[in-house]
Amino acid sequence: MLSRVADSIYWMARYMERAENLSRLLLSTQDLLLDAGEEAADESQFWGPILMTTGDEERYAKTYPTIEGELVADFLALRADNPNSILNCVRAARENARTVRDQISDELWECINGLRLFLESPEAAALHQSQRASFYERVLVASYQFQGIASSTTPRDESWHFLRLGLCLERADKTTRLIDTCSAISFDMPPNPLARPLRWAALLRSSSAWHAFQAYSSNKLNPADIVEYLLLNDTFPRSFAWCIEAMHTALISLCGSGRLEDMKAPVRLLGRLRADIAYITMEEVLKEGLHEFIDQLQSKLNDIGASFFQTFVNYADITAEIEDTSSPALSVGAWHKAVDDNMQIQQQQ
Amino acid sequence: MSSLFNDYQPGSFFDEMFSTPDAAREHYAGIMGSIGTLTPPEYAARQRTADAVFLRQGVTFTVYGDDQGTERIFPFDLMPRIIPHKEWERVESGLIQRITALNMFLDDVYHGQKIINDGIVPRELVESASHFRPEFMGVKVPHGIYIHICGTDLVRDGKGDYYVLEDNARCPSGASYMLENRNAMKRTFPGLLQSLPVRPVDAYGSMLRETLAHLAPPSVIDPNIVVLTPGVFNSAYFEHCYLAKQMGVPIVEGRDLVLKNDRIFMRTTKGLKQVHVIYRRIDDDFLDPLVFRKDSLLGVPGLVKAYQSGHVALANSIGTGVADDKAVYALVPKMIKYYLDQDPILPNVPTYLGVDPKECEYILANLPNLVVKAVNESGGYGMLMGPHSTKEEQEKFAERIRANPRNYIAQPVLQLSRHPVFQGDHFEGRHIDLRPYVLYGDRIHVVPGGLTRVALKKGSLVVNSSQGGGSKDTWVLWDDQE
Repeated sequence: MLSRVADSIYWMARYMERAENLSRLLLSTQDLLLDAGEEAADESQFWGPILMTTGDEERYAKTYPTIEGELVADFLALRADNPNSILNCVRAARENARTVRDQISDELWECINGLRLFLESPEAAALHQSQRASFYERVLVASYQFQGIASSTTPRDESWHFLRLGLCLERADKTTRLIDTCSAISFDMPPNPLARPLRWAALLRSSSAWHAFQAYSSNKLNPADIVEYLLLNDTFPRSFAWCIEAMHTALISLCGSGRLEDMKAPVRLLGRLRADIAYITMEEVLKEGLHEFIDQLQSKLNDIGASFFQTFVNYADITAEIEDTSSPALSVGAWHKAVDDNMQIQQQQ
Repeated sequence: MSSLFNDYQPGSFFDEMFSTPDAAREHYAGIMGSIGTLTPPEYAARQRTADAVFLRQGVTFTVYGDDQGTERIFPFDLMPRIIPHKEWERVESGLIQRITALNMFLDDVYHGQKIINDGIVPRELVESASHFRPEFMGVKVPHGIYIHICGTDLVRDGKGDYYVLEDNARCPSGASYMLENRNAMKRTFPGLLQSLPVRPVDAYGSMLRETLAHLAPPSVIDPNIVVLTPGVFNSAYFEHCYLAKQMGVPIVEGRDLVLKNDRIFMRTTKGLKQVHVIYRRIDDDFLDPLVFRKDSLLGVPGLVKAYQSGHVALANSIGTGVADDKAVYALVPKMIKYYLDQDPILPNVPTYLGVDPKECEYILANLPNLVVKAVNESGGYGMLMGPHSTKEEQEKFAERIRANPRNYIAQPVLQLSRHPVFQGDHFEGRHIDLRPYVLYGDRIHVVPGGLTRVALKKGSLVVNSSQGGGSKDTWVLWDDQE
């Protein structure tokens, strides 16, 4: 498979997953606040963390004076000038899909293209104004469709593995960021006045883990159990441990487990992280400090993402063999922002 | 007479469908008995469904000079254009004759130049053609074929006679719309195509692949073929992708390819993989910054060297544009006579050359009655439609022609044939042309039909997608009912 194609499939999956996570985050927060009592009096404590997970606090502060649900939703859903909005995530997913249209099924392409047409329509803006929940659900359903179609139409070859890598890396990243939004709040439970049960419920709902966790845990809403479930449990498909395992499986299918001496960088990095997560206990995590621990996970994820790019797309080791012509002025990888499209214009016969 | 066509007026033109306001032509009988029986609202609903499918599938082209990267669907009119079997046979043999002569001409131009030395084609005309590539003089190309994929534009005049309007011998586009239009017809009127003797077009993908595979270096048994696109922002990107998918070959951009030992490789997740045949959809100018435009980021440095050394093949070859130069076009009938000793089966539209002083004078004196075209523009750009132009436009063109007569040709305005086209709730006649696709591999294939383009604006004679044109499915019948 072409390197650029692999990178585009990887990013297509990442951007779709990103749009899905954002929609769920906005939907679950809004839902939760509807029937919250006193704890929700200061709504910025619920909306602020969402901006943290997307890393947009600064950009947001430049546009809006205060953190309010209305404004955060506006900022993250359909704003064309926010590169991380749902709209722009879907556009990026769609542009990447378009560059690899010949490699993905028509059904998959139509699903992404359909979602992007919807988001750009006046209908979407009106729906987001009047029935926000329906708007988010529409995006969520499209993302589930995307995954379902991908799963049932993608051959289990490189396309599938790169798609899985993108999806799971994005999900692992978002799960850690979500958990991190709760790392500063109390692990106490009611009736302790410090307890914030609503915030912990929000964490579960934002990860689609509410029902799964209820069924799993006898100790209903114990914060430490919730964190352990989302971080270390390898049965729930949005937990960090599950995502790492899925990535590892995809990666082994791509490069084989190989012998230690010629092991590729991503295999080594991911294998080590998988072992770390498998053998660490919750007590050790808390002893180290939840925020510090998550910080480390995030930097490992960044290294892994970079090593994918170096190994499969940019391959510095082979580049040296290529005859010295002129240095490539265009990047080799996926679509992220508009390049100088004038360069690609020529008249058509 | 169905209500769909109750008020239809063929007018004083050659109408493809109706010989008189009340009588559809024989070969449209099947359509009249099926689609023709729908009521206008029923028909409009089908048309809307087809449009929605095109948009959802992203069957689009990009409009330049509009908002950045605006994608539009290529407007599609459901009522098919039908060509009877006998008529098509003639067109087909005319196209085969023409591509044969054009290829012989290119081989001659880049090798012995007999036709120039014999005084049939003026040397200045060839050497001043902007797409002539002196770098390719004497370079051997696989099997001596230069044009592997040709799109020749045909029109019919007021009497219904076919003429060649121009040849597109560099990177003709539109084949994907031909294929998608047929799919849209199948979806919108399931069963209809089975019940009528319509020749299928869906073999185009495999025919194209065969044509390309034929070019591979002889030592390669299973060649790696790729489609080279300028990228996702190019107006025809949809088509590049579509054709790659039809052929089951990768679509690559210049940055995916590298040169090593005079060979071209693509960068894959498992390292470098050699490429043997490139169906390039990038103009000569952008192919290789080491040889042509230095600022091109679209091409592959060293590609020309690899091509010249025979390790990789290109379709179409480099320098084919000298054959579709609009001034050289005027001489194609002479080429056919010279190389094949035959009369052209499909005549040219009479053409006046700016480069000929006498003809230039005629052009300048008759601007209001002529179509003037710049010789190396395409896509409907750089044109003056005499009868529809203002005095100022004519003066501006006259100035340009005087400044650079070689750059202009003129033709009389043909009364192009018309076809009923659905406009909101009824049919109106619109001018059409036809672009058939000719493939030249181990033998010559002509796809039955091609892309019928429609000038959607009332009275307009310009069919190009960039200028508000649309298209129709084109049906060639297996046999004609007597």
